[in-house]
Amino acid sequence: MREQLEQLKKEALISINEAGEVEQLQDIRIRLLGRKGALTALMKGLGSLSVEERPAVGQLVNSIRDDIEAALESSIDTAREHAKFERLRSERIDVTLPGRRAATGTKHPISQVIEEVCDIFAGLGFAVAEGPEIEHDWYNFEALNFPPEHPARDMQDTFFVENDLLLRTHTSPVQIRTMLKQKPPLRIIAPGTVYRCDSDATHSPMFHQIEGLMVDTGVTFGDLKGILTVFTNLLFGQKTGVRLRPSFFPFTEPSAEVDIACVICGGKGCRVCKNSGWLEILGAGMVDPEVYRHVNYDAENISGFAFGMGIERIAMLKYGITDMRLLFENDVRFLRQF
Amino acid sequence: MNVTYNWLKEFVDFDLSPDQLAELLTMLGLEVEAMEKLGEGLDDVVVALVEEKRQHPNADKLSLCRVNNGKEAFDVVCGAQNFNQGDAVVLAQIGAILPGDFKIKKSKIRGEESSGMLCSEKELGLAVESNGIMVLPSNVYALGTPVFSVLGLKDTHFEIGLTPNRADCLSVIGIAREIAAKLGLKVNYQLPVVAESSDKVGSKIDVVVEDTDLCPRYAARFISGCKIGPSPDWLVKRLNAIGIRSINNVVDITNFVMMELGQPLHAFDCNCLSGNCIVVRRAGEGELFTTLDGQQRVLTSADLVICDAERPVALAGIMGGQNSEIEESTTSILLESACFNPAVVRKTSKRLGLHTESSHRFERGIDIGGVVRALDRAAGLIVELAGGISAEGCLDVYSSMIEPSAIQFRPERANGLIGIDLPREVVIDMLRRLECLVSEVNNGVLSVVPPSYRIDIEREIDLVEEIARLNGFDKIPVTMPIARISSDRPSRHQQLEKRVRNILIDQGMNEIINFSFTDPGAAGKLMLGEDDPRRIAIKLTNPLVDEQSVMRTSLLPGLLETVARNMNFRSLDLKLFEMRRVYMPVANEDMPLEPLFIVGAMTGSSDCDVWNRPSDMIDFYDVKGVVEVLLDLLCVGGVSWLSDETDTYYHPGKSCRIMAGRDQIGSIGEIHPTVQENFLIEKPVVCFEVDFEKLVKLSGSKCSITAPSRFPDSTRDIALLSPDDLQSAAIVACIKGVKAKEIEHVQIFDVYTGKGIPDGFKSIAVSIRYRSYDRTLTDDEISSLHKKVTDSLLNKLGISLR
Repeated sequence: MREQLEQLKKEALISINEAGEVEQLQDIRIRLLGRKGALTALMKGLGSLSVEERPAVGQLVNSIRDDIEAALESSIDTAREHAKFERLRSERIDVTLPGRRAATGTKHPISQVIEEVCDIFAGLGFAVAEGPEIEHDWYNFEALNFPPEHPARDMQDTFFVENDLLLRTHTSPVQIRTMLKQKPPLRIIAPGTVYRCDSDATHSPMFHQIEGLMVDTGVTFGDLKGILTVFTNLLFGQKTGVRLRPSFFPFTEPSAEVDIACVICGGKGCRVCKNSGWLEILGAGMVDPEVYRHVNYDAENISGFAFGMGIERIAMLKYGITDMRLLFENDVRFLRQF
Repeated sequence: MNVTYNWLKEFVDFDLSPDQLAELLTMLGLEVEAMEKLGEGLDDVVVALVEEKRQHPNADKLSLCRVNNGKEAFDVVCGAQNFNQGDAVVLAQIGAILPGDFKIKKSKIRGEESSGMLCSEKELGLAVESNGIMVLPSNVYALGTPVFSVLGLKDTHFEIGLTPNRADCLSVIGIAREIAAKLGLKVNYQLPVVAESSDKVGSKIDVVVEDTDLCPRYAARFISGCKIGPSPDWLVKRLNAIGIRSINNVVDITNFVMMELGQPLHAFDCNCLSGNCIVVRRAGEGELFTTLDGQQRVLTSADLVICDAERPVALAGIMGGQNSEIEESTTSILLESACFNPAVVRKTSKRLGLHTESSHRFERGIDIGGVVRALDRAAGLIVELAGGISAEGCLDVYSSMIEPSAIQFRPERANGLIGIDLPREVVIDMLRRLECLVSEVNNGVLSVVPPSYRIDIEREIDLVEEIARLNGFDKIPVTMPIARISSDRPSRHQQLEKRVRNILIDQGMNEIINFSFTDPGAAGKLMLGEDDPRRIAIKLTNPLVDEQSVMRTSLLPGLLETVARNMNFRSLDLKLFEMRRVYMPVANEDMPLEPLFIVGAMTGSSDCDVWNRPSDMIDFYDVKGVVEVLLDLLCVGGVSWLSDETDTYYHPGKSCRIMAGRDQIGSIGEIHPTVQENFLIEKPVVCFEVDFEKLVKLSGSKCSITAPSRFPDSTRDIALLSPDDLQSAAIVACIKGVKAKEIEHVQIFDVYTGKGIPDGFKSIAVSIRYRSYDRTLTDDEISSLHKKVTDSLLNKLGISLR
């Protein structure tokens, strides 16, 4: 019987070794260890052995069963691993085919710049203010110290509408409306749509501006330089050179045009900056006492500054757009790039 | 304002290169917009001698010349006739680049070789026009030397963009004064001298100013015995250099003095002045007058005219008349130097569309104190260059002297506003450099009288600006303001505006921005009803084009035009939205309302670039989905979709009104085929419109959240046969109407018509999920609930189970 058992073990281990698949190994288990299996049959013959022989042979049977069991387990594991490996190998896909994307939309560049500028100023404590686009002459011009028949009005070709109203030519009337409602201290930023009758590659009859206003005690022209330096550095990158040079706006005095070092050539001179190395991006100045008079502020005890910029100009510089008309044609091939 | 380096140098002796001067002017607020260095790069244009001149063998009008530059001789073909053998001429050698990027190359002209070009003044940029080539005095200049250097023609031309407040800088002297003030130099004022006869001016001419408000000062001189002719070379060159064409000596002098001193002048032919007198008055209503340019103008009583005894002879401050202009035969002249009311000049010039160098200056205001000086300067030059003699003195009608008044000025106020700390003496010195009269008052206050030409300086703040400017904006220290903490946060309106934009973008939509003005025909294209309020639009009184002549009352026309434009470019898959204002007039209010609206349009394929399954075409439900997400995220409650009374521009069967409670907040629909045609759109488009202002009012916030049930759910499906016109919303409402709290979710998962379904019916499959919060529902409980639901559907809606 011992011989029979040893023979069985030997044959079993050979067939286990030869079997490559999980199913074959399961079959072997049933054939040998199942209820009607070969080892089970041999175990049934234990009864015919002498009492002395029985424990030793019994032990042998158990050890053979354990060995077969262990060999089966390990082979099944290997076979499973192999099968998994084969499956993974066969399931290769082309990862370069495009993904199935959810559609993505885009924000208009004008909205993007407005949001970015407002965010920067929100961080400096400026609240967003708004006002009507169809305005009274008084808010758009007179209260801003543009007297009737003054040549300064020529700087802004105005669209007029019925009822003696006009389309605001700048966002500055929002300053007036805000100051009439609110007493200093005041820090506002006013984005909005404005209109001038002018249309070519660099002028659009409708465009956008952002206006800023700060009024408090002891605000200086140096502070205006500070705020604008911080702002241009945040918008165009650290260490963007800023230059203020004297200019004229009826509602500020002293007034300044604000240039930044050309973002295209870095100040060396190129076509965009007309070889000057500078790009004009902002108008600014200290609020004129005449404006305070119109809103009943006491110019002796407070001071402040205002500044304004064209959004299109900034968008064009930021994104390298050369024709302003692209911004209003709404061609999706243009818009989808933002 | 155009000016040249050399001209400025005559008035102030600065030591700056042209580039440094440009920088200085720009930083003073006189922005140099363009700069042209005359003669730069023209070193290959040299003095040459014509050794031989003969007829071109193949062309009558050309000559063949042998010219020598001192080292070498060249053959040059020339078309001009105004020179001879032995003359010194200007030769542009091979390689020279003339103004206008004109490169001189070796060429063959009618079969003869030409190695260079003999130049005219025009070709060298020295004159606006020229007659023949430039001929130089013989034997004066060394052959081969660059012409611009030897003739002293090197100059730099500056184009200065002036702000409207700086009327004083519309003259060479004005700009020179700025340079002098900045550098602490003296301006070289030359006092004009006029040769006068013993005849008193009053015996020759008379001046009456009827309207002194509109003409506060009128000065005139009488000059007789002049000879009108060409101007001398220097004068022609000066004017040419700043872009003014020479006409004759007298007219050129008036232009020259205007550019030099900023005072517009006018010379009348005295023989044409009836009664030898000048009357300054308002024009008669409808009075006709022919200006120098030959145009007949119809005047109004708002215009100011200069008249002789009978008729107008000039439009005050704008342009002279044809009837009294200086001609070759003119011998006696009435020379005018006056000051007119800026507003009057501006109004007339604007109304007539007649903008001249003169009107430009009067509109901005001239130096009333300099009127006579300019008159004398011009008279002196006329006598010098055109001969003749001036009558003694000038008539100066100046009824009430206008002099600058003193301004109280506090230097510490200037320091405080600017953020600098200039010592008092420095401030005073700056003001004196600006030619202000400064005296101490008391308490540290200064009394400052600005010069008469600085009409822009009236208040203390104007002087503050002068100090900031002369100090240099670049020298003002950069500081950060000290501010009080404020508690502002964006308004709900502002927050939601941003949110809505982001929600739509996150759903794959591209934001567009259209002009706020639109075509007055847009309402018709949308087939809006005659009484639709959107038919009443605000009109522009001065539109650029008719298609942009009314303020929009709806965003749809712009949106549909955008769709059409994109389709023309073969962009057929579109998801666009616009969130902007519309402009609605309000009865009995002067200001219109400007509510914010949201519109969207979708068309084409609903997915982008899917390669393994066919993509669906966008329909009503894709758009409704976008709107549902928007309303859900903004927590707008009580939303329903009504298919009746939808807008005329929608497909009547594929559109709805979006309701929140009883209030319509928007609409969705496929665009009506006629409207689609009106906007030249090729393919169906589904649009939505939402009133943003109503969204702001209705949007809520999620404030109560329920914990999910921990017990299992059970889902039962029902297939219903319902009449075609029964809306699914009614079915869902009926199921929910059973009011069992165990009904957790109701979903329609299939709608089918066609084979197997009788005509006039549709099959609707609904899935209902049951779940309890406190226990596991038994089969019996669920069946009984489900029976309630099916009974309700059968009884209330009269539909059957399939």
